[in-house]
Amino acid sequence: MITVNKLSKAYGAKAVVSNVSARFSARKLSSLIGPNGAGKTTLLMMIARLLAPSQGDILIEGRKITDIRIGDYARQVATLRQSPDFNLRLTVDELVAFGRFPYSRGSLTAEDHRVIDEAIAFLSLQSLREAYLDELSGGQRQMAFLAMTIAQRTDCLLLDEPLNNLDIKHAVHIMRALRRLCDEQGRTVILVVHDINFAANYSDHIVAMKGGSIHCAGSVSEVVTEERMRELYGLDFEITRGERGCLCNYFNPLGELE
Amino acid sequence: MMSALTARVPRHAVWVLVLALATAFLFVRSGFDFGYVIPKRMARLAAMLIGGVCIAWSSIAFQTITGNRILTPAIMGYEAIYLLLQSLLILFMGTQSLVVLGANGNFFLSVLLMLGYSWVIHRWLFRDGRNNVYLLLLLGLVLTMVIGTFTQFVQLKVSPGEFSILLGFSQASFGRAEPGQLLTSAIVVAAVCLAGVKTLPTLDVLSLGRDQAISLGVDYQRTVRLYLALIAVLVAVSTSLLGPTAFMGIFVANMTYALARTFRHRITLPIGCAIAVGMFILAQLAVEHVFNYRTTVGILVNLVCGVWFLALMLRTRGTA
Amino acid sequence: MRAGLFGGLFIALCCASLLVGVQQMAWSQVFSLSGDAWLTLTASRLPRLAALILTGVGLSVCGVILQHIVRNKFVEPATSGGLDAAKLGILVALTTVPTTGNLGRMLFALAFCFVASLIFVAIVRRIRFKNTVLVPVIGLMYGGVLSAIAEFYAYRNNILQSMQGWLLGDFSKIVQGNYEIIYLILPIVVVTYLYAHRFTVLGMGEGMATSLGLNYPATVALGLMLVAVTVAATVITVGAIPFVGLVIPNLVAMYYGDNLGRTLPVVALGGASLLLACDILGRLLIHPFEVPIGLTAGGVGGVLFLMLIFWRNR
Repeated sequence: MITVNKLSKAYGAKAVVSNVSARFSARKLSSLIGPNGAGKTTLLMMIARLLAPSQGDILIEGRKITDIRIGDYARQVATLRQSPDFNLRLTVDELVAFGRFPYSRGSLTAEDHRVIDEAIAFLSLQSLREAYLDELSGGQRQMAFLAMTIAQRTDCLLLDEPLNNLDIKHAVHIMRALRRLCDEQGRTVILVVHDINFAANYSDHIVAMKGGSIHCAGSVSEVVTEERMRELYGLDFEITRGERGCLCNYFNPLGELE
Repeated sequence: MMSALTARVPRHAVWVLVLALATAFLFVRSGFDFGYVIPKRMARLAAMLIGGVCIAWSSIAFQTITGNRILTPAIMGYEAIYLLLQSLLILFMGTQSLVVLGANGNFFLSVLLMLGYSWVIHRWLFRDGRNNVYLLLLLGLVLTMVIGTFTQFVQLKVSPGEFSILLGFSQASFGRAEPGQLLTSAIVVAAVCLAGVKTLPTLDVLSLGRDQAISLGVDYQRTVRLYLALIAVLVAVSTSLLGPTAFMGIFVANMTYALARTFRHRITLPIGCAIAVGMFILAQLAVEHVFNYRTTVGILVNLVCGVWFLALMLRTRGTA
Repeated sequence: MRAGLFGGLFIALCCASLLVGVQQMAWSQVFSLSGDAWLTLTASRLPRLAALILTGVGLSVCGVILQHIVRNKFVEPATSGGLDAAKLGILVALTTVPTTGNLGRMLFALAFCFVASLIFVAIVRRIRFKNTVLVPVIGLMYGGVLSAIAEFYAYRNNILQSMQGWLLGDFSKIVQGNYEIIYLILPIVVVTYLYAHRFTVLGMGEGMATSLGLNYPATVALGLMLVAVTVAATVITVGAIPFVGLVIPNLVAMYYGDNLGRTLPVVALGGASLLLACDILGRLLIHPFEVPIGLTAGGVGGVLFLMLIFWRNR
């Protein structure tokens, strides 16, 4: 559904993303993994149109994204970056209502209210509706922002490290919600994630990047192997697969670090 | 403390208060002299109204765009340019400048100059597609310092008579505005406000920050450029009409947020205008009746808003 | 640039400063230690040279201390309210105890500058600014508030026009007998050099400084006191000169780093050279009249600073 062709991004002489080509299929959850500085976030921001590429192009359903007006693009792709430090006094309800902006430009219709209610219910945030954002915990705030992107009713969701600074329970909540969005609502989710275990257990498709280019891409069983992970991260992995999913143990590698 | 005080105040109370103040200003101790006193006061009131609207709109919009509660558009260098013009006029033409240009000439010249300055910095700063408002602030900072030194130099060199004239232009005052200026300003400001009203929901979205706004489909570059241009017009008009009103914008904006208890610009902008106008009327009344003209409106407004700004800084915690 | 090159440049500028002036000097008279030329030299040129060097050194050292305390590259007395506080102090001294001389006024200016800097540092510590530019901008506005207070009182006492004159940097006032306060800067620089290592550690932040065993509040207070004395002495003798404390430390840090123990002499020399160059320029531009140093330093410094920013941003 989203195709990236020979995409590059350079700041002066420094190339952050070089010649990357990839396909992100529709209705699948794809994760971008890799060490720091691999260019994952830069790639995601270019797809989100928050950054302009130096070279190459990005196609969504066969159309170049630069040909699409940004107001229309917002109805197809929604982006969530880390929830910023806010000093806006907004209730959760008001925040989620913003998600309808691409459609109603500020004046909410009955349909908008329905969508907002659904988004809030999807994440079980009803009890927090009237709470102010700055009174919530980090995890709850992230859920509220996710509800806003859900209310935007786009086919594609891009998330940049959504699990940072979250406790494990909220992290599981968010990953489960993303999985449900794919399965129940047929959306496409692309996320940059650091935790290889979450990526391995919830993704359909993994793209591993290193040093600005693609290291390997494919299904979880193809990419998450001990050999591939050692090449990617330079750490000795022990991967166990069981009923409850896959577990990557890299916490106590054998031998010296490279 | 502020929110406890204002929690009970309904929003419309502000307008009632302003209306009462305006009536008091017009009619108290005027002897109902409709021939001279009241028209003069009406002219001042008109200047306050137009200036107040300009300041409220430009400050609130600017703070939304920069995501910051302690800035004002004046520090982008507009007031420095205005003071530079006035200093140059006095330096080269002395008291003749009043005669040659006239008050109207001075007004139009300063508006044109500030608009020209804003056009130059926008072209230059937004040239490679990035808009970095902080670079703009830095430029404004440097300009303010350099022009400030130049203005001090001029103030020293001129005679006391010329200094008084210069002082008259470099302090905020409501009595300077002539009907011609008032009419032009009113038309321009009304046009800008009408243009802005339709885009208020977009301004609401801008307060979420750049990334969120783009994700929600706002053409960020274009919108910010448009708003900065509108702000430039409003600042140019208010500075030329009234004089520099440095801290007033921060005071009005922050008071508005405290009173309105919402961020929606459809509500905050009218309240901001009311607060600005009310503040002006109070200042004028204070100068006339409390201080007996031993200070000027400009100095008083600067003092009160400046001290308030200091208190705000001392109370603020977290990010800014 | 090699140290030798720097030193040579500095000496050249000093000699140039001695030579430029309205009075024509007969050098033979100088070497015989008598006559008008010697008088010009000792009463006007040499004091001016001394004041120039000391002011340049003092201002750049002030700038570097403030930058380490506030941990922001753009802070100096002009952008942290110090100059305006000194102005307010002089105003209060003039209106409350009009009979004190320069020393008394300097003490008032010192006190106000110290307290104002303390408040500024307190403000900056509590707020986490999203961008470094905001700190000098807030400092400038803070200075504006102090100015507004000063204007309020000056207007009531009718000394508004002359008050504006105190802050305009002008070296033409320097004559023998009227400038000796500026020599206070010498012990300040010595103390700064002795404490240079501690000021570097200050720049790492309170957490790191305390963990390295430094008494953070005491060192900050000392630094601010040194700054206050320098600012007060400079404002009383010469007036305010912007940008020197801003441009020189940034330039030096770009090439030599932030280790004050090593870079302090370069900073001091750089400040003096910049001021000498601006002064010579000011005296030559409209000879035999002179452009006040406040203007030349403002113009030259402003341009240099903008170039610095845009070059760094590239």
